Amino acid sequence: MAGQTPDRRNGWAGLQVRGNGTAADAVTDLLNILDSIELPVVVIQRDLTMVAFNQAAADTLGVSPVDLGRNPRDISALAGLPALDRCCSDVMASGVESRIDIRDKRAWFVVRIFPYRRGDGQGAGTVLTFTDVTAFRASVDQAVYERECTRAILNTVADPLAVLDADQRIQSGNRSFYTMFDVSPDEAQRTSLYELGKGAFNSEPLHTQLQAAVAALSIEKLIEVLADGHAFQPVEVDHVVTAKGERTLIVEFRPLSLPGHSEGRALVRFQDITSRKQAEAAKDQRSEKELRRSEAFLAEGQRLSSTGSFSWKVVTDEIMWSEELYRIYELEIGLPVTLEMIRARVHPEDLTSVETIFERARGGMNDLEWQYRLQMPDRSIKYLHAIAHASRDQDGQLEYIAAIQDVTAPRLSEEALARARSELANVSRMSSLGMLTASIAHEVNQPLAGIITNAGTCLRMLDATPPNLEGARETARRTIRDGIRGSDVIARLRALFSKDEFTLEPLDLSEVTREVIALTLSDLQRTRVTLRSELAEDLPSATGDRVQLQQVILNLLRNASDAMADVRDRPRQILIKTERDDGEWVRLSVRDSGVGVDPASINKLLEAFYTTKSDGMGIGLSISRSIIERHHGRLWAEQNDGPGATFSFSVPSERSSVPDALSR
Amino acid sequence: MSSVSDKASLVSVVDDDESVRESVPDMLRVLGFVAEAFPSAEAFLASEFVSETRCLVLDVVMPGMSGPDLESELIRRRQRIPIVFITGHGGGSVTSRLLERGAIECLVKPFSEVALLDAVRTALGWSSSGPVTAT
Repeated sequence: MAGQTPDRRNGWAGLQVRGNGTAADAVTDLLNILDSIELPVVVIQRDLTMVAFNQAAADTLGVSPVDLGRNPRDISALAGLPALDRCCSDVMASGVESRIDIRDKRAWFVVRIFPYRRGDGQGAGTVLTFTDVTAFRASVDQAVYERECTRAILNTVADPLAVLDADQRIQSGNRSFYTMFDVSPDEAQRTSLYELGKGAFNSEPLHTQLQAAVAALSIEKLIEVLADGHAFQPVEVDHVVTAKGERTLIVEFRPLSLPGHSEGRALVRFQDITSRKQAEAAKDQRSEKELRRSEAFLAEGQRLSSTGSFSWKVVTDEIMWSEELYRIYELEIGLPVTLEMIRARVHPEDLTSVETIFERARGGMNDLEWQYRLQMPDRSIKYLHAIAHASRDQDGQLEYIAAIQDVTAPRLSEEALARARSELANVSRMSSLGMLTASIAHEVNQPLAGIITNAGTCLRMLDATPPNLEGARETARRTIRDGIRGSDVIARLRALFSKDEFTLEPLDLSEVTREVIALTLSDLQRTRVTLRSELAEDLPSATGDRVQLQQVILNLLRNASDAMADVRDRPRQILIKTERDDGEWVRLSVRDSGVGVDPASINKLLEAFYTTKSDGMGIGLSISRSIIERHHGRLWAEQNDGPGATFSFSVPSERSSVPDALSR
Repeated sequence: MSSVSDKASLVSVVDDDESVRESVPDMLRVLGFVAEAFPSAEAFLASEFVSETRCLVLDVVMPGMSGPDLESELIRRRQRIPIVFITGHGGGSVTSRLLERGAIECLVKPFSEVALLDAVRTALGWSSSGPVTAT
């Protein structure tokens, strides 16, 4: 062997070969064989040094002739394969071959360590073959990875899935499957589908389906099965006993063709439709029941709130009433409703306004809200509050849906409350007026008593014989003194009425008026007075005392309202108006439709203590006038052309030339 | 002026108002009575004239003790003095209540001298011929 390329082959020096030819021939054969195989082969002798290697070992592992005689640990190409020397020692000791998986920097190897036996059967070392399994391992890793991914995906599927073999044995399932039937994967593998769910699947249709699925391995078979028409139809199975109790499932089979498996398998999918079935079952029953119940709720709600409702198709005058509305109108429930019937119940005074509402409703899409009264056959009055909403029915025709509330009780108590309040106010006004009168009387009567008594005494003294002149003089002086005292009292009273505190500020007469309107609106509504206001937006501001001016406006409104208390034959209307007057003055007027004023007494009207009314409010007008005069303004009354009177005042604005007079 | 008989007909006037306090006693004196004036009920009670007073011309409303208060106090002291009330507040109910309690008269200011004279005479139990006969 030494003669042939000793530089390449000296690794096999000393190798003994038995054969029919010459020893050299045999060695040459072996060397050729060894170098022709792709598997790296390395021989380690007893002292754990490398004594030979083949071409593949040089190519693949990178060992070289210089490594001969070295321990594998010291061979740089093998240094990445730890524990090689120890494994060789073990094999030599036991004489039994072993395999180890080893990884170097680049690749995975399966290293087979085979005992080296001499011809005498003595162990002389080991022969190592290196099989590169890197690609194989990678594909195994990939397969494992993909299997895990698939499993993870399947486990997130809510529907239970399982794979069955031809004997209906469960090969595998997803988590939902194991959970639903409460079995472990191991138990499942020993279980037939027909045993699951207390035998619910052990039925003829399922047998057929499963057989078809398992049989449909080839395309030809599949076409055959599909042609049958019944195959792979979902089957509904009731009363399946599961971990969640009895369920209704839909079971579906799919043939599963697995490469490399000749045996037929089927994928089975379970779909739990219990809730849906229950919901469906309950639905018909429930919708019927709920409709009845909501109708009952509505009726009860209408009763409790005294609210009726109706619909009105404008074109056909088709009217539908709720039961409560019949009750409110005190008509027999179910009676066909006509507009005539509705009109007949409306209070005569409200008929015009109700007609107006009808007209507006017919006029187009309007959302309406109105209040009106009913006059019942027993002459009692009901107050109603109605709200109507316009819509189009399915034919595009105008239709109103309305709610009508009987507000009689709240209205009556509201009126009673307002009446009580105004009576109280009146009482307190009267009592303070009474007290004022009494104190005025007392203050004036004291000096008057003195005057009269003194004058009498004086006369008697003069009448005496001889006349007591000195005494008479004294009592006459006292009479004068008491007279002065009396006039002092009057002066004090006058000062009291025109109090000196006067807060001047620039103010918008329209705004001041709006505040008063807000205060009096409920009062006016109670007395069935309609208040219309025309308040100018661009008035120059006036300088004055807001509270005092508001008292004047309040007083004028109250007088206007009172003047209409007895008006029955025409609407009770007040028009309150602010406007610019001549010469940068601002004017407010209150026009009523009441009894009006007698031209003869129109001037007296504003004098103190003069009144055409019985409750003594005339004093209010005179105080009003004194307030307006303090503002350097003017208060006057006029008889209207029509019924009623107009009271107006006019005060200078900031722009006019008199304001400095105010500060006096 | 202070004879025994005069003392027997002493008329005391109690009123917080100066005009009345000056004019009424003067008038009474001109009419022949003996009169004393007091600015308050307390002043009258504190004076030496309580037991001598035969008629009391008494204001109803006064600061401090009122006319009716003084009346009650006198009853408590068993001093029975006929009372003619005078008042600046002409109130029917007050007047009638005072009369029910035993007042001789309740005159509303301003009152006439005739009304005053009649009331005082009645209080003193005299005939309409007046005190002139008694003096």
